Amino acid sequence: MRKSLVFLVVLPLLAFSIGHKFYVTVTNVNYSDKDDAFQVTTRIFIDDFEEVLKERYGIDAYLATDKESAIADEYIEKYLRTKFLVHLNGEQATYNFIGKKYDDDVVICYIEIPDVGLETLKTMEFDNEILTDLFDEQKNIVHVKWNGNKRSFVMIKSNAKGMLNF
Amino acid sequence: MNQIKYGFSSMLFLFAVICFAQEAEEPEKEREPGHLNQSKFRQMYDELSTPNTYRSASGAPGPDYYQQQADYNMDITLDDKNVKLYGEETITYYNNSPDDLEFLWVQLDQNVRAKDSKSPLRNGNGVDIAYTAGNFTQTYVTEPFDGGFNIDWVKDASGQPLSYTINQTMMRINIPQPLKSGENISFSIKWWYNINDRPNDGGRSGYEYYPEDGNRDYTIAQFFPRMAVYSDVEGWQNHQFWGNGEFALTFGNYNVNITVPADHIVDATGVLQNRKEVYTKDMMKRYEAAKKSYDKPVIIVTQEEATAKESSFAEKTKTWKFRTEAGAPVRDFAFATSRKYIMDAQAVKMGNRDVMAVSLYPKEGNPLWEEYSTKAVVQTLQTYSKFTFDYPYNKAISVSAKSIGMEYPMICFNFGRPNADGTVSDRTKFGMISVIIHEVGHNYFPMIVNSDERQWGWMDEGLDTFMQYLTEQEFGENFPDAVAPNEKYPSRRGDPSKIVPYMAGDQESISPIMSNPENVYQLGPNAYSKPATALNILRETVMGRDLFDHAFKTYAQRWMFKHPTPEDFFRTMEDASAVDLDWYWRSWFYTTDYVDIGVKGVKKYYVSNKVTKEMQEYMDARGITEADLPPLVYLASEDSENFDENLKGKAPTEVSQNLNEYMMDNMTAEERSQVEEPKYFYEITFDKPGGIPMPLIVEYTYADGTKENVTYPPEIWRKNDSEVSRVISSQKELVGIVVDPQQETADIDTTNNAWPKKEEKSDFDKFKEQVKG
Repeated sequence: MRKSLVFLVVLPLLAFSIGHKFYVTVTNVNYSDKDDAFQVTTRIFIDDFEEVLKERYGIDAYLATDKESAIADEYIEKYLRTKFLVHLNGEQATYNFIGKKYDDDVVICYIEIPDVGLETLKTMEFDNEILTDLFDEQKNIVHVKWNGNKRSFVMIKSNAKGMLNF
Repeated sequence: MNQIKYGFSSMLFLFAVICFAQEAEEPEKEREPGHLNQSKFRQMYDELSTPNTYRSASGAPGPDYYQQQADYNMDITLDDKNVKLYGEETITYYNNSPDDLEFLWVQLDQNVRAKDSKSPLRNGNGVDIAYTAGNFTQTYVTEPFDGGFNIDWVKDASGQPLSYTINQTMMRINIPQPLKSGENISFSIKWWYNINDRPNDGGRSGYEYYPEDGNRDYTIAQFFPRMAVYSDVEGWQNHQFWGNGEFALTFGNYNVNITVPADHIVDATGVLQNRKEVYTKDMMKRYEAAKKSYDKPVIIVTQEEATAKESSFAEKTKTWKFRTEAGAPVRDFAFATSRKYIMDAQAVKMGNRDVMAVSLYPKEGNPLWEEYSTKAVVQTLQTYSKFTFDYPYNKAISVSAKSIGMEYPMICFNFGRPNADGTVSDRTKFGMISVIIHEVGHNYFPMIVNSDERQWGWMDEGLDTFMQYLTEQEFGENFPDAVAPNEKYPSRRGDPSKIVPYMAGDQESISPIMSNPENVYQLGPNAYSKPATALNILRETVMGRDLFDHAFKTYAQRWMFKHPTPEDFFRTMEDASAVDLDWYWRSWFYTTDYVDIGVKGVKKYYVSNKVTKEMQEYMDARGITEADLPPLVYLASEDSENFDENLKGKAPTEVSQNLNEYMMDNMTAEERSQVEEPKYFYEITFDKPGGIPMPLIVEYTYADGTKENVTYPPEIWRKNDSEVSRVISSQKELVGIVVDPQQETADIDTTNNAWPKKEEKSDFDKFKEQVKG
């Protein structure tokens, strides 16, 4: 009986002969020595994001249009603060939502985690559940770069955590 | 001027010798094991199969090339009330292969949605953290939808039952006697199935339900048992239909009668045979006008007429008859039917023939569809035909279908609907125009140039997405108002910079282009954008437009109405252009390598009269003196003992007596007076952290602001795949070097592309500053 879930979920994606057929976000986390901050950019498909804003908050965001809702940014930030968490040395980091911009069918959200204190940083933990409340097959990829080092995580609904030891 | 070049190049030759000598003096390393040929420029004898008489080494069909033929006579009935489709078909199958066939394979694609389909079972999953009540019900409580084929019978030409065996989406017809080479066989199948709710159940075919008026539209495809392909490459292509790998189909002629409610509008693959019976008088009149309208579409069924029918729910039926034309065989058949359809059409000149560009859409598609759909179809036919061959069919139809884009011969189903209040975002508008171009474009690849989609998704999707990019750009040029305020059409795929995030991504989730579509991690970039971008770069940067376009057209024309393989494509592109591309195919199509080329360092040199330290050591080691050698010229690097400030800015003949004497002995006074001696010498080292060898495109900037662009061929990497040096001589001081200044190679890391290294502000910092204002 379990098959019907996959049936319902997978086949709609296959139907697209064009357009994005896979549910994925890509988050780049780069350490900036100059600012002692992690600079985070998250790329999310506009239509997926609109759908979650609609489903979750009942907002018709009309992203990237003339009619874009005045409260869109507020709710984008609210959503990210719920679904994208970062812990440094076990403590939840507060971050600044700097803004967003559009790149074709993708919205790029800019987030800055200030005052990292890289020298004393031992662990960094990500909880990335972006869009997993809407799409069971959502994948969230996180690439972290610091001082020439690289680590990547692929987060899915049932395993949305990524842990980094420095 | 030749002599002076000789003079300087021989000087450089000596310089090279010294470099070599230096290396030879290094202490001996431990002996390394041998290795196979690892050159990225070796020919692809290992990857490509040996050419044969079916497929020539040139990439063209060989003298013994064959393909099978399957003709279909079908009667199809739509039961709109119960949402079922019934069909009876007779297939005549021609065995043109040299082999005798003991059985035949027929594809039952619809079985992918049978109750017992294995397709949903092939992916692993785990227990979710939580389920929505609806999801939980569908997953664990209710019975799954049964959309598989019900086969009533299979009979031979004399009406006797034929034995058959069904294995998921494939049916083996157990013919009593082998079908001999050169023979043909006719057999019939009667079938029916439950039509699926496409937007909700998914799939490429199905119905969309409109709750406001209780109507459905039907976009129906892969709906009948279809012959599998038998070829020299795969034998029977009977790889199961799992969902991603699309279709491999045999060309043939179709004669199809479709019976639907009398108030429906139908269009389908083929030529409508009984237009007068099924069109109203008004429709006939408008259709005749559309046949002469080359500049704009003519509305054949108006929105008012379509809306008025929404409540009619006709009890009577009409039969629409379609037939394909001789000389223009098709590999498949699809149709669309609904009483909700508005219809418009326009004529397009195609050589000495006319082709009709047609659109079908419900009122929910307007005002977007009446404005752009047919326009996009026309542009597609014009651009694709220019790059391949004249569109051989009588029409190309774009049908509105919520949330999908899917292609069939002459007809395709495309997304793009305005908001409920009639407004249209640019994203929806361009998304719709792009999908129409893409799906109509599929008529060329793979409907006519018929690659095997089940095995190679990229061969049609990649080539089509590449052509889509060219078409979108021409659409933008032809309709500047439609793309304003953009200066050009905002193509999502094709531009090299757009593929960088994918190619720079996590290697664990990337597959080579040459992978089966069922087994890749990201089908979009894998089968669509990466091959499209690779072809775009090949055209713009590696081959040049003329050579590329001629070769691409040659491929399309060689394989029109035939079944090409990737090798036929790779070989033809070389065959028609004399550009060796084995390195390009290997790295872009067979690996997950990426492009990253940079400038590593620059060393300045000046002409010197003094023996360099390295040369002195070279002579000492051999017990020779300068007197034993021909007159030599030396280049002293800025960081060497021989360098002094006085050498700067001097002409080489001022510093080197040897050079001066040589020139006086070998050149006339007049020749010497014309010589402009270089004063600056630079040894520039380029490195290549990326695996893909690419042309090394360099922009040199001099102190006076002038720029010089040099493109070193990709073969510059053939002996050292990671690093290469070039010497530049100039009268002007070199102040800047940029690799790939126009960003045309999809270089994934441009921070190493400039000398002196530019402190590039990160995209993040730029954005932050901009926000803070």
